[in-house]
Amino acid sequence: MATLVSGSKRWVIPFTFVCLVLGSMLGIQVHTQRLRGATQVVRQTTALIEMLSRSETQAQQQKEEIDQLRARLAEYEKEAASEKGLTRLMNEELRAARIALGTVEVEGPGIELEVADSTMRTSDEAGTQDVYVIHDFDLLQIANELWCAGAEAISLNGQRLITGSGIACSARLIAVNRVTVASPFVFHAVGDKQKLASALNIRDGVLDRLRVLQFPVKLTQKDSIVVPPIAVAPKYQYARPVEKEAGP
Amino acid sequence: MIAVPFAALVLGFLIVYRLLPPIPSAWAPYVAIAIVAGIDAFAGAGRNWLERRFDEAIFISGFFVNMVLAALLAYVGAQLGVDLYLAVVVALGIRIFNNLGHSRALLVSMRVEARKARAGASAE
Repeated sequence: MATLVSGSKRWVIPFTFVCLVLGSMLGIQVHTQRLRGATQVVRQTTALIEMLSRSETQAQQQKEEIDQLRARLAEYEKEAASEKGLTRLMNEELRAARIALGTVEVEGPGIELEVADSTMRTSDEAGTQDVYVIHDFDLLQIANELWCAGAEAISLNGQRLITGSGIACSARLIAVNRVTVASPFVFHAVGDKQKLASALNIRDGVLDRLRVLQFPVKLTQKDSIVVPPIAVAPKYQYARPVEKEAGP
Repeated sequence: MIAVPFAALVLGFLIVYRLLPPIPSAWAPYVAIAIVAGIDAFAGAGRNWLERRFDEAIFISGFFVNMVLAALLAYVGAQLGVDLYLAVVVALGIRIFNNLGHSRALLVSMRVEARKARAGASAE
């Protein structure tokens, strides 16, 4: 070593100084990077946990409220049913309206359809798995086929589909009626079971497309399908019925 | 003697790591790139040393000026929306590798020369 610097030790002091500077910069950088990673994870997780617990308590409160309101409504209906004539007619109309609105559980013949993410995996590591997962549009297409085939009531993973139901992609999950659901997706539909099944199985239809990509698809026709009611009935905040004046 | 700068490196690291608060995370990329520039200065100094043309004035000026320049370039890039950051990292990375490679080749050839010289001396 001594031969390399030709005996002179002049280099030691500046070299030491430079090393001190580099060392402290490394220190500050490592410190910052570590803290940054740690705090980010902690911050995100706590925020998510808070959000989750808040919405869970909210949902619980709302469910209790709904149960109370439904009980009261049932009482009213019982009273109304005991009366004759017009009230009876109104009661029947109300029943039909409630099926349409989805606030009552319905039962009848129909189909059960279970679809899940494909068992196939992308061959290249960089590629995404997107092609082999069920997307919101797949579910929308299935629901649409069912409605077109005359389904009277449909539920997806326990969520009743009503006129205002949305099926939307939400991060890596799918939101139905603003409730997130995940694969496997189970549809229950009440209606003409053969019509429903053949509508889904139509050549080059939605199920054909899924089967080609090895999505597990299980379609069964049943004599008794139960479709649950909607958890939270829609509130009409903006829409008002138009009062038509009686003609002369 | 080489132990003194090395001790300073470790000491600087420990003091800052233990005692000083972290910098705002927005500055982190600039410090990182400055560190890369510093490492480049060290690699260059090592090569110059082996080639016996090491000059501490060049080394120290290069160390500080390149650090500031690298960080400045990255900053200007960020303001313009161009990833000059990457250009600096690539340029410095290539230089570090070059200098380390030359140093290694030089060290190997020095050893070979020394062995030849010893063999020649013993033959006489």
